[in-house]
Amino acid sequence: MIEPADLDAPDVMGLLPDAAVEEFLSQAVRSGHDLPPPVALRKASIMLPSAEARWHTKPLRDLLVEAMRRFDDDRVKADGWLAPRLHATVRMTRGEAADSRRWNFLAMIVAPDYVVWRHRGQDLVAAGRFCGPHYTQAFARLWWAAELFRNGADYRPVETACSVQDVLNTTMRLDVIDHRPTALAILEVLADLIRENRGRLGDHVNALSSSVNAAGSTLVYDALAEEGVGDIAVLQDWIAEAQEMPPAPWERLPYGPDDGAVKAGVVDALVPLFERLLAEAPIRQRPRHAASSGEI
Amino acid sequence: MIPVFSYPTLFGDVDLEVMSVSVDGSDLPYAQISKLERTVALDHGGRSDWESATLRLRATLPDDEASGGPWSELTCLSVLTEKATNSRSSSRLSVEADGHWHGAIELVRGSHLTRATLSLAVVATVGGVAGRLIGQTRENWYVDLVATVPKRQRAIDIMEADFANGPEEWLRPFKESPWIVDTTGDTPTVYLNTGGVEGLLEILNGTGGAATEKMVRETTAAQIAHDAWTAMFHTAVADLDFDEDGTPQMPTGWKARVLRLMIPDVLPGRQLNDALYEINDRRTKGFGWSGLQTSIQYAAGRRSRLNRTLTNAARIALRGEGDEAR
Repeated sequence: MIEPADLDAPDVMGLLPDAAVEEFLSQAVRSGHDLPPPVALRKASIMLPSAEARWHTKPLRDLLVEAMRRFDDDRVKADGWLAPRLHATVRMTRGEAADSRRWNFLAMIVAPDYVVWRHRGQDLVAAGRFCGPHYTQAFARLWWAAELFRNGADYRPVETACSVQDVLNTTMRLDVIDHRPTALAILEVLADLIRENRGRLGDHVNALSSSVNAAGSTLVYDALAEEGVGDIAVLQDWIAEAQEMPPAPWERLPYGPDDGAVKAGVVDALVPLFERLLAEAPIRQRPRHAASSGEI
Repeated sequence: MIPVFSYPTLFGDVDLEVMSVSVDGSDLPYAQISKLERTVALDHGGRSDWESATLRLRATLPDDEASGGPWSELTCLSVLTEKATNSRSSSRLSVEADGHWHGAIELVRGSHLTRATLSLAVVATVGGVAGRLIGQTRENWYVDLVATVPKRQRAIDIMEADFANGPEEWLRPFKESPWIVDTTGDTPTVYLNTGGVEGLLEILNGTGGAATEKMVRETTAAQIAHDAWTAMFHTAVADLDFDEDGTPQMPTGWKARVLRLMIPDVLPGRQLNDALYEINDRRTKGFGWSGLQTSIQYAAGRRSRLNRTLTNAARIALRGEGDEAR
């Protein structure tokens, strides 16, 4: 197995095209026995400007090494800790985050050790964890979870979201959660289930998500719960502050961009509706092995 | 997916128009907005430092129905989305003296990447249930951030690159290939190798020339198109998403277009969703997948008009240039 010390990560992030990734995803890389060839991969990449501190790899590497130390006994738990801290460290707009080349670079060059550590199971790590859609790729899924589930500067809902893997695997694929009040209302219902100590949380989340999604084809959630206009200037300032930012705190949550939190009453308008949808939804029992493999 | 409504909805047409667009406060030239194509091209003069664009909108509802229907609290909501950036924003329109609904929506550049979709939802309280969708525009608008011309269909990108010595390291292994097709990105791209077949790019980029030159140009273009269609089809069927009972979902963007155009030739006489299910089944289970290759080739050939091009080429070759003027 590879140790973090074997890795000689570059100081600055870059962009690595999808087409260049595939040929280097060998069995040995996906099983964690080899590192992807750094020289060839770096040559295939476009480097980001080193003058921008947000693209420096050191703060991110520090977080990953700490996550691997803290959660080595329960790797799934690393998601809830890492997602907000990754989001507050690699600060960018959604437009920038939508560029898959950025995530490829992190997974293949900056932190292949983390991808293998977090996602190895009995089999090889799925190729989609290195290069894949936003709800699958090892780092994209965490960044987007933080972006889609944060409420303005408040990352607490992100921790709730990451506590049930099905939120990342299933809910995050749905277009309805691009509406922040809808995303937060789903989490409110989930938080209640957690408080009530209900079992099979994952099954409930899947049932709730697919009901909310289906009802969304005839119910316009944007009309029921107005999101308000986000403040781009605040987001831009927050990104610019990355030049001077200290490393993300380990023991408490960092603060996200205060670019417009959803007002309390707005989410409340949806919660009773979603509770009703969940009560009416058929809940599928999954065989135990399917439920556990979904967590890797 | 067209939802089935269990309550009354608007029957008449709902129309949405983009009346004008301003980018960071200054108006976008009118030619950048096409009502016919229902597309706005935001790239004007290559300016890339803008932050937000405001689209002024006008919606038209079937009047009598809207005011006299079995609903209350009717409102119009414009919705701007882009799947690639998981972005969604909405704004309310309000009815004015001219009977139309007016409003504006802001597109924040940082929240978008290439192309946003603008739609209109007519929402009302029906049978005591608030927030019901009772009507929407049949065709959405596209707001393209990278296009300079407002065209709805995005073609394949064509890039020229020196595979052997250019900056794109990943093209290096293909240095002896005259072109390659890359379908991993947002828009399928054909890379033409400037260091490949000598003279080929000059011919491809030219317009006139002798009949034989034209013949080479057209057959090469058809061959490239054939490769591109085949690669796009394979990528589109390999990238399908599934709903919870394992039914493949129609993808979005270029993948949807490719499947819609090619499936009727690949599995003729089938309904689109059935055909998609069958193709995926054959691909994942391996059974009958090789047999399907023949039809995929045939479909790609039809799309790239190989037959027509080769017929012309054969004629020129057999009868000589003199007959070409006929």
